[in-house]
Amino acid sequence: MALLSFLDRERSIAHPGYSRWLVPPAALAIHLAIGQAYAFSVFKIPLSQLIGVSKPASGDWKQTQIAWIFSCAIVMLGLSAATFGKWLEGAGPRKAMFVSAVCFALGFYISYFGVISHQLWLLYSGYGFVGGIGLGLGYISPVSTLIKWFPDRPGLATGMAIMGFGGGAMIGAPLSIKLMAFYKSAGGVGVGKTFLTMGTIYFIFMMFGVFTIRVPRDGWKPEGWTAPAKHNAMITTHNVEVNTAFGTPQFWLLWVVLCTNVTAGIGIIEQASPMIQEFFKGAIGPVAAGGFVGLLSLFNMGGRFFWSSVSDYIGRKPTYFIFFVLGATLYFLLPKTGADHLNSIALFVGIAVVLISMYGGGFATIPAYLRDMFGTHHVSAIHGRLLTAWSTAGVLGPVLVNYLREYELAHGADKSSAYQTVLHVMAGLLVVGFVANLLVRPVAEKYWMQDGSVATAGSGGH
Amino acid sequence: MSENTKKSSPAMILAAWVLVGVPLAWGVYNTLLNSMKLFQPPATSVPASSAPAK
Repeated sequence: MALLSFLDRERSIAHPGYSRWLVPPAALAIHLAIGQAYAFSVFKIPLSQLIGVSKPASGDWKQTQIAWIFSCAIVMLGLSAATFGKWLEGAGPRKAMFVSAVCFALGFYISYFGVISHQLWLLYSGYGFVGGIGLGLGYISPVSTLIKWFPDRPGLATGMAIMGFGGGAMIGAPLSIKLMAFYKSAGGVGVGKTFLTMGTIYFIFMMFGVFTIRVPRDGWKPEGWTAPAKHNAMITTHNVEVNTAFGTPQFWLLWVVLCTNVTAGIGIIEQASPMIQEFFKGAIGPVAAGGFVGLLSLFNMGGRFFWSSVSDYIGRKPTYFIFFVLGATLYFLLPKTGADHLNSIALFVGIAVVLISMYGGGFATIPAYLRDMFGTHHVSAIHGRLLTAWSTAGVLGPVLVNYLREYELAHGADKSSAYQTVLHVMAGLLVVGFVANLLVRPVAEKYWMQDGSVATAGSGGH
Repeated sequence: MSENTKKSSPAMILAAWVLVGVPLAWGVYNTLLNSMKLFQPPATSVPASSAPAK
């Protein structure tokens, strides 16, 4: 269709004079929207009271059933990023962002029909399946474009976008609550109309990203910037094809790096509220614990920008060394801050926010690490496949934390010391990540693309 | 064929950043307000004798 040809990569090549500083807001428009997924929990109670309105009634969905909507969306995020990454490299970021926006909005609309007809499978297939595809495509769509626009600061550029994913939940939660309060009536909780409204708002917001995104022309480079003359072995000047990259040891080492870092972070996020209350019984109640969770999300978001920017100066490998050495030490020390040891809330909070900043930093720095290893040509597609580490950690983290805690409690440990075991296991996981990071070496020549292409700033993919 | 070589205007760049910055700032502000609860002293029961007069 001629109308949709506007979405083609060729139509999105930037004209000379187009400012690269318009590209991060385009990426942020996508990530701030899809980051709403992490605020889905605000719908749990309203969705469990669609019939009873003020309280769950017979026939209402159980919260355990509702929880599968989010799980489905996150699984689809990983699967679609891994599956469609290669298509994205050819189709270009604009088309991928457009499809992402359509899927994400469609997910809300299908879910609206699920709410009004009280059919849970429509929410699984709407927000979970179709919306989840939108999440995966949206997450990886701006990555390689940003890296090409910012060859001098790839960490900062991708960090800005991935910071948006963290910030999206901060917008999505209060927006959902305010809309549900607006639409709530004596006969309904207002969640259906909230879905319709959010689908529309997010679609329009994402269209700003679609219309603004541009890919640089071949050979483009920032004004006054020249590629460093001194060759750094850990930053390749070649490209590796996505299927080839999938078979390299570097891909799987970075997969372990991401997986261990995320699993350990989930150990804090999953248990943040009950943990601080158990550690400081009587001093921290549920309200203050809620504030602690809010503080963690701020540092999760800030860490994405901070650590990925730092990695531009100190290098990707040293940045992950900081995560793993400092992280393992802090996880080991965290239980010592509790009421039965040092009894310092300030120290507990201080350590937790540093840990969570490194969790976010791990997400935001990995695209630049992939660029350093595999070049820019297929970096979005390779990033998409690496996100299966996130999906794995999303299952592994909570299972590990909950199973270990229950095991400890069943064997006579009190609640506080049960957390100690969990945190020490998380420290151990980071040691595994440290070893994986240590083993990362430059990709061997036999894996390079043989078309003579080199990773110049504006090499616009296929 | 003439090629468009017009430089992006600073106003357009600013507008783009404002468009994404304002919702993000609103979200951060809301989260900051919520996180302030951590620094509030826990609610304690006030003995009847020291309760303020009505």
